[in-house]
Amino acid sequence: MSFELPQEVEETRKRARNFALREFTKELIEHFDETEEYPNEIRKKVFDAGFITIENPWNMLVTMEEFCRVDPGIGLSTLASVFGSEILLLYGTDEQKEKYLYPTLKGEKISAVAVTEPGAGSDVAGISSRIEKSEKGWILNGHKMFITNGTVADHYYLLARSAPPPSKEKRHHGLTLAIVERKWNGVNPVKLKGKLGMRATDTAEITFENVLVPNENIVGEKGKGFYIIMTFFNISRVYVAAQSVGTAQGILDLLLEYLAEKPASFREMEYVQFALAEISTLIEAARNITYKAAAKVFSFNPDPALTSMAKYYAAEVANQVANIAFKIVGMEASGSKLEKLYRDAKITEIWEGTSEIEKLVISRMILKKIQEVK
Amino acid sequence: MASEEQKLLVSMIEQFAKEELENVAQKIEKEGISKDIRKRLAELGLLAATLPQSENGAGIDRSSFSLVLMTIAKYSASVAYFIYLQNTLVNEILFKAQKRKEEIAKIASGESTGTLVHDINFNFPLEIYIKGHELYGANNFVILPDADFHLVLARSEKTSYLVMANPVKIEKKKPLGFRAISFGFASYKQTIEEDRIILKDADNLLKSHIFDTSDQIAAIAIGMSESALEKAIEYSKERKAFESYLYEFQPISAVLSDMKGRIEEMKKALMLSEDTKDRILLKLNALELARSASRLALQIYGGYGYLEDLGIERYYRDSMYLTMLSSNYIKDIEIISKNIISPDAFKI
Ligand SMILES: Cc1cc2nc3c(=O)[nH]c(=O)nc-3n(C[C@H](O)[C@H](O)[C@H](O)COP(=O)(O)OP(=O)(O)OC[C@H]3O[C@@H](n4cnc5c(N)ncnc54)[C@H](O)[C@@H]3O)c2cc1C
Repeated sequence: MSFELPQEVEETRKRARNFALREFTKELIEHFDETEEYPNEIRKKVFDAGFITIENPWNMLVTMEEFCRVDPGIGLSTLASVFGSEILLLYGTDEQKEKYLYPTLKGEKISAVAVTEPGAGSDVAGISSRIEKSEKGWILNGHKMFITNGTVADHYYLLARSAPPPSKEKRHHGLTLAIVERKWNGVNPVKLKGKLGMRATDTAEITFENVLVPNENIVGEKGKGFYIIMTFFNISRVYVAAQSVGTAQGILDLLLEYLAEKPASFREMEYVQFALAEISTLIEAARNITYKAAAKVFSFNPDPALTSMAKYYAAEVANQVANIAFKIVGMEASGSKLEKLYRDAKITEIWEGTSEIEKLVISRMILKKIQEVK
Repeated sequence: MASEEQKLLVSMIEQFAKEELENVAQKIEKEGISKDIRKRLAELGLLAATLPQSENGAGIDRSSFSLVLMTIAKYSASVAYFIYLQNTLVNEILFKAQKRKEEIAKIASGESTGTLVHDINFNFPLEIYIKGHELYGANNFVILPDADFHLVLARSEKTSYLVMANPVKIEKKKPLGFRAISFGFASYKQTIEEDRIILKDADNLLKSHIFDTSDQIAAIAIGMSESALEKAIEYSKERKAFESYLYEFQPISAVLSDMKGRIEEMKKALMLSEDTKDRILLKLNALELARSASRLALQIYGGYGYLEDLGIERYYRDSMYLTMLSSNYIKDIEIISKNIISPDAFKI
């Protein structure tokens, strides 16, 4: 068994690191954090440099890690411009791929995933947006919340209810996934400002009023949208885990930079040394579980429990590592990048399934083993 | 365990905070602590709360003052810290030194503001010096750099002084927390007349004052924790997921209840701290509590907690910022270790 990534992936990692160090300058990081603008120019450069590719997903994964290591806001924002592409890759028709997926993967379009609503986040089956069959196609009415890329995306992969649930136990039935274009009549995205962190990402609240969705924009089988979204989350969560690992590694980098500036006596303190050891161990463990989950996903043999473990654990590590680093750096972190990474890290415990939801996924999968025990 | 008198004081402060701070807390964060709010704090005697009445103070005893800070922090942690800064770090020091009574009066009345510039309990050297009567140097980590005057710790070859000064240049930065209070860089170049020297051998005196008032930081941290928890409990009763209220989920109820227990214990401990070591320990635990409570509140609010509108992410920033401003874990734990284990403890 080898723990090494292929040479090609390691080379991408190096390139991604160099790119981020060169392009995500201190000024730009501060600018996007302050203004909450979308870093569109950097996104284009990321495409031009060839970092967004689906040929080998490991390349995207290590790029996510290395970008977030330098700046999670810009890093995620640029890479997530193709957010949701796996949905079309797995379930899209040739026409849908032609019209939406390929231009997105070429950087000509931006995509988004619209699931969460004001009244339902964790409880995906609890959404109340409705998509109903009409003569000309489908009519969408609803309200989505916290949608990444909401005001900059060309199209959304949107989940809505197309039929009432057959029973209380089967609430996840009757949900349908559709591709909805931002510029269509009745679509109204409003940017949400004032986030704690990840302020270079675009986040929006979107209302849909009598939006006409053509038949050909329904993805997969109608009524099966919940399964499509869950399959997608099982993929996308490994990227969030990589985001966390990158953020944590970025914090360790900053701590090392800080220690390099301090007199040797500071580094000689065992307290400081133990903190470094703890941080490094946590990151190593988070990286390994992330890669293991990714290896399963990328070889079409996903293990949802493992993916959720990776997402939950790596997020916890990113936040824990920030706390340990603050104990060492203290007041000197003020106004520094460490402060920013502390703000950025928190989102990893919330989006793409909160840590609590990940724990539920894990335990449900583990409990299935009771049958085997019996 | 609070006395009747303390309960009365707390209920008066609570009423003020509810009526005059709660609804504008977010505005205060954006626009700063206005002169009007300062005047109101002055009317309530809070800007010189612990000074004797004969010295423009309100004559509030130590534990009552902690209760006041805790109560205010529930509604606006920035305002609570501002009170601590004015009362404890500026006015108490001037009073102990028996210097510049006119400045004490001005701060007490809300007419002017002061700040303390020091490096006690931080890892960085202050880099502000005094040679003869010439003060020079700069510091990057000054809280309230636009205060009307600065009490500056300055070092000479042989000793250290606390002097009253005005910076020649300040640069404000956006702080992680307490955004109602400015923060940033200040540089000094000034001749210090004799009557502007507040303390000689100031290092030691400042150190003991700052460490000895650690319980006041704890009080602010406990107030923040309590407020974050109350909001989280409230939200868990309003928000539904999977057709149930959040509080109905066992892990959520458990963490909320556990946090409540920890906060109540900490409140009791606040009233019992007897010496400096107790107070530092209390501060460390209370700061940890505030960070945990704020993280819990944000988590329970989910996506809504991440946006500033509901004021939840503020706890997350403020609790870490309060930690940075008032605790250096390594130095704090060193003092405690040397006190409770052996003077040789925490050496290697
Ligand atoms: C910056 C940002 C970007 C986002 N981007 C997107 C996006 O692009 N697309 C999208 O669709 N969504 C997006 N989201 C939404 C995000 O996925 C949700 O916020 C998240 O799923 C949680 O949902 P919620 O906020 O409604 O919290 P809730 O579901 O209301 O949960 C509140 C709390 O209750 C807990 N909880 C819920 N159910 C249980 C249970 N059964 N047991 C124990 N605890 C429970 C949760 O873990 C959480 O702590 C984004 C959010 C943010 C903040």
